[in-house]
Amino acid sequence: MSAPKSLPKDAQVMIQILKDMGITEYEPRVINQMLEFTYRYVTTIIEDAKIYAAHAKKSNVDADDIKLAIQCRMDQSFTSPPPRDFLLEVARQKNQTPLPLIKPYSGPRLPPDRYCLTAPNYRLKSIQKKVSAAAGRISVPRLSVGGVSSRPTTPTLGTPSVQSVSTKVGTPVSLTGQRFTVQIPPSQTAASKTTTPSTPAVPNVLINPSLIGSKNILITTNMVSQSAASDSLKRKHEDDDDYDAL
Amino acid sequence: MAAVQGGLIDTEEEKDIKTEPANDGCGNNNNNNTANDGRLLNASPGSISSGGSNKPATGALEDQQTLLAVLQFLKKNNLSESVEILRREAGLSEDTEDSKGLDSSGAGSGGAAGNVDSESGDANSLLSRVSVSSSAVSASAVQAPSKGAGEDQPDVNVVLSAYSQQGDPALYDVYYSSLKKFIESVLDCHRAELSQVFYPLFVHMYLELVYNNHENEAKAFFEKFSGDQECYYEDDLRVLSGMTKKEHMRGNETLLDFRTSKFVLRISRDSYQLLKRHLQERQNNQIWNIIQEHLYIDIFDGMPRSKSQIDAMSGSLAGEAKREANKAKVFYGLLKEPEIEVPLDDEDEEAENEEGKPKKKKPKKDSMGSKSKKQDPNAPSQNRIPLPELKDSDKLDKIMYMKEATKRIRLGPDTLPSICFYSFLNAYQGLTAVDVTDDSSLIAGGFADSTVRVWSVTPKKLRKVKSAADLSLIDKESDDVLERIMDEKTASESKILYGHSGPVYGISFSPDRNYLLSSSEDGTVRLWSLQTFTCLVGYKGHNYPVWDTQFSPYGYYFVSGGHDRVARLWATDHYQPLRMFSGHLADITCTRFHPNSNYVATGSSDRTIRLWDVLNGNCVRIFTGHKGPIHALAFSPNGKFLASGATDGRVLLWDIGHGLMIGELKGHTDTIYSLKFSRDGEILASGSMDNTVRLWDAMKAFDDLETDDFTAATGHIHLPENSQELLLGTYMSKSTPVVHLHFTRRNLLLAAGAYNP
Repeated sequence: MSAPKSLPKDAQVMIQILKDMGITEYEPRVINQMLEFTYRYVTTIIEDAKIYAAHAKKSNVDADDIKLAIQCRMDQSFTSPPPRDFLLEVARQKNQTPLPLIKPYSGPRLPPDRYCLTAPNYRLKSIQKKVSAAAGRISVPRLSVGGVSSRPTTPTLGTPSVQSVSTKVGTPVSLTGQRFTVQIPPSQTAASKTTTPSTPAVPNVLINPSLIGSKNILITTNMVSQSAASDSLKRKHEDDDDYDAL
Repeated sequence: MAAVQGGLIDTEEEKDIKTEPANDGCGNNNNNNTANDGRLLNASPGSISSGGSNKPATGALEDQQTLLAVLQFLKKNNLSESVEILRREAGLSEDTEDSKGLDSSGAGSGGAAGNVDSESGDANSLLSRVSVSSSAVSASAVQAPSKGAGEDQPDVNVVLSAYSQQGDPALYDVYYSSLKKFIESVLDCHRAELSQVFYPLFVHMYLELVYNNHENEAKAFFEKFSGDQECYYEDDLRVLSGMTKKEHMRGNETLLDFRTSKFVLRISRDSYQLLKRHLQERQNNQIWNIIQEHLYIDIFDGMPRSKSQIDAMSGSLAGEAKREANKAKVFYGLLKEPEIEVPLDDEDEEAENEEGKPKKKKPKKDSMGSKSKKQDPNAPSQNRIPLPELKDSDKLDKIMYMKEATKRIRLGPDTLPSICFYSFLNAYQGLTAVDVTDDSSLIAGGFADSTVRVWSVTPKKLRKVKSAADLSLIDKESDDVLERIMDEKTASESKILYGHSGPVYGISFSPDRNYLLSSSEDGTVRLWSLQTFTCLVGYKGHNYPVWDTQFSPYGYYFVSGGHDRVARLWATDHYQPLRMFSGHLADITCTRFHPNSNYVATGSSDRTIRLWDVLNGNCVRIFTGHKGPIHALAFSPNGKFLASGATDGRVLLWDIGHGLMIGELKGHTDTIYSLKFSRDGEILASGSMDNTVRLWDAMKAFDDLETDDFTAATGHIHLPENSQELLLGTYMSKSTPVVHLHFTRRNLLLAAGAYNP
C-alpha cells in the first residue's frame, strides 16, 4: 500500500501539541516517538485503573480510578526532585561540618574499598586435586586453578591467607594455587615471605603471559595502587596500605 | 478527590462566610500569637456552626472538613484543651483526625519552614497569616504527592486553599486591568520601574487561579494579559500556558518553588510610594495583598532606573537579587604559588636563554607570580580550605608550566591567537561534553551513547599500566621507571571508557592528569584512572541527571550540579558529598571553580548565577540578568571577574568583588556553550551553537571598570554599548557548533565540536 497522503489523525494531533508547546524544529521521527510514548503511557494507566476498579469491586472504571492510577505512576516513574525547603534543610546540616583535613602522602585518594569499583569481579575456581610440590609447572596452564580462595573483596589488604596472596594486589593476581605460588607481589611487600616456593616458580608464569593478560581487567584496576606504590617507593615511604583506612 | 469537588462547588456560596473565618481560622496558623486562641475558640465554632446551619447537605461536608482542619491546627499548636472543647462542641470523633495526622504534620513543618523563609519584614498581621497559610498550602501540596497514593479523605491543603483565596476569581481580570491603567498613567520616569510588577503579579495571579481550580477564569486571564509581558519571559509563559489544572502544577518543582519564594523587585522609593498610595486608597486592595504576599520589594533611595537598566538586570525566575545577597565579602584573589626552585632541569635552557629565566632564589618573574611578599587582602589564606600538598610529580608539572609560560605569546587586539579546531567526526550528534588537559596533551569526549573516549593529541600514545606480573619484573630503581611501568602492547591513540548508563554530560580532567571525571544522565559521577583506563569510583548522590562536573584547580575536590537543583562538592576520597549548595530554583547547568578553589560558581536554568563559598556552603553572590538558561561560565585568571554565556546569545561580565554586572557582549545569535579566558586574561573567547568562535577584548572591557563611582548601593549599572569595539574577530566553522574552548599554555586556542552537516 502506498504511503498515505495525509498523516493519521493522531500524528496531526501530536504535531499540534508540539506547536502549542513552542517546539518548531524537530525530526520527523520525533512524532513517532511521542506517539509511542503516549500509547504506552495511556495503556499503562488504563490497565492500572482497571486493577484498582476491580479491587474496589466496581464494575466500571471511573474517574477516581484513573486519578489514582495517574498518581501512583507519577510517584513511580516520573518522580521529581525533592522540594526546596527540604533541600535547604539538608544542605544546612551538611554544610555545618567543617571540611575534613587531608592526610598527606596517602597515595591515590579514593574512598574505602567497598565504595570503589576496584574489586575483582570474578573469582577463580579452586582445583581439588593437590598437585604435589615441586613447582608443578605443567599445571601452570590450568591457571584457572588459582588458589584464590581469598575473597574477591579486598585485593588491597595483604590478606595473610595461607597461600600466595600477600599484597594488596596479590589476591586475584596470584593465579596459581597453593603449592606453586607464583605471584611475587611486585611492590615493597616482596619482603613478606608469605609466598612459599616463590622464586623457582616465577619463570613459569612467564611462560603464559597471555593467560595472565586475560585477567587484565582485574589486574589493572589494582595497578592504581601499584603505580602509587611504586611512586611512593620513590618517595621512600613505608607501606601505604592505609588508603582504605578511612 | 471528592474534597476537591466539594471545594469547587461550594466556593461561590460560602465565599462571604469564609472571609470571616478566613481571618479567624488563619489565626490558628500564627504560632507566635497564642493570644489568638481564646478568640479563635469562640469565633470559629460559632462561625462554622452558623455557616453550617445555613447550608444544604453539600455544605455539611465542607464544614466537616473545615472542622477537621481547625482541629488539626489546634493539635499542632498543642492547644489540647481547645481541642477537647471544640471536639465536644462539634461532636467529632477521635479517629477521623488521626489518619490525617501524618499529612498535616508534614504540612505544618513545611509551612513553618516556608514561613521563616518567605516572610517579609513589614507584612501586617493579617497578611502574615495569609502568607503562612498559602506557604503551608503549597508546602503541603508538595508533601502530599511525596506521601504516596492520594487520599480520598478531605485534605487539609484543600481546605486551606479555600482560605487563601484572595477574592472572586472573576475579579482578577478587573484588578489587573485597573493596575495596568494606573501604571500607564504614571510619570515616565516611574513607569519603567512600576512595570516590573506586571510579570510577577500576572504569574502569581494565574497560578492562584489554577491552584484554586478556576480553570476557565485562568485561561481567560492568561489570554487577555499574556501578550503584555516582556518578550524575554516568553518561554516561561509558554510553560504556564500548558498548565491549567492543579495537578499539572504538582510535578513541576520549579513552579512550586516560584510560588513559595518571593519575587524580588528593586524599586526606587518614590515609585514605591506612588504605587502604595494608589493601591491602598482603593476599596478593593486585593492587589496590594498579593503584592505583599508574593513580592519582595527592595527599596532604594535614588533616581528611578531607566528601562534599559532594568532590562539588563531582570530576566531571572525570581526577579533580581536583593542588595544584601551581594554584600558578603568574597576573597577573589589568587592563592600564592609555592616557591619552587627551578634546579638542574633548567641548565639546558639557561644555556640558550640567560635572561628571563627565573634564577634559583627569585620567584617567578611574570605576572602570575607573587610579586609582593605580603598577603593580598583579597586573597583567602592558604589554609582557609584544606588543599592537597604538592607531590613530586606536581612540582615537576609546575616547572614544566613555568617553562611553557615563558614561551607564551602575549595576546592583544593586535596579536590574536591562532585557533586550532578539533572536529569530532561521525559523532552523529552524540557529542555531549569535551575537556582538554591543562597541558593540552589529552582530549576527552563524552557521548550520548554513554561512552567516554580519550584521545592523545600529541604523538605520544596512550598506554595502560602493566599487569602485576610484569610489574614485578621491572627494575624499580631505574630512572625511567615511570616509562617502564607502561605496557607498550596497549598503546593506542584513543581509549574508550565504558561504565555509564546514560549520556555523559560533563567531563573534567584532574590537574595532575591521573584522573578523569564524568557525569551522566544516570545520576552518577564516575572517576576514571588514566593510568589503567578503568573506572575507580562511582559517586552517587544526585538521583537525577548531572549536567556538569569539574575538578578543582588543585585537584582532590570536585563539584557537580544537576537536575535536582543542588550542586555538591565532593572529595575523591569521600563517597558522600562534603558540601551541598542549595538555593537555585531550577536545574544547575554549569559548575565552575574559582582559580583559588575557595568558591564555586553555578549557572542554572532559572537564569541566575550564584557564587558559593566552599568553606561554609553559603551563597555569597547572586547575578541576574541573563534571559535564558546559562550554559557557560569562565573565571578570569586573576580571579576578579566572571564571564557567563546563556541561550540568549549574550556574554555577561561580572565583577565578583562588588557583585555587579560590568559588561555585556552581544554578537552571538545562538546559545553560547563555551567561554574561556586566555592565559593572562587579555582575551575572552566564546564558542556557540551558531558555529562561530568570537574573540573579545577582555582587557579593555575590564579597564573601564576601574572608575569607582559605584552607585553600587543602588546597583545602577550603566553598560556602555561597546560590544562592537570589543569584538576582535569572528571565526566560522563548517557547520560545527563549538562545544569547548581551551587556551594552551602558550596561548594557542583550541576549539572542539562535533561536525554536524
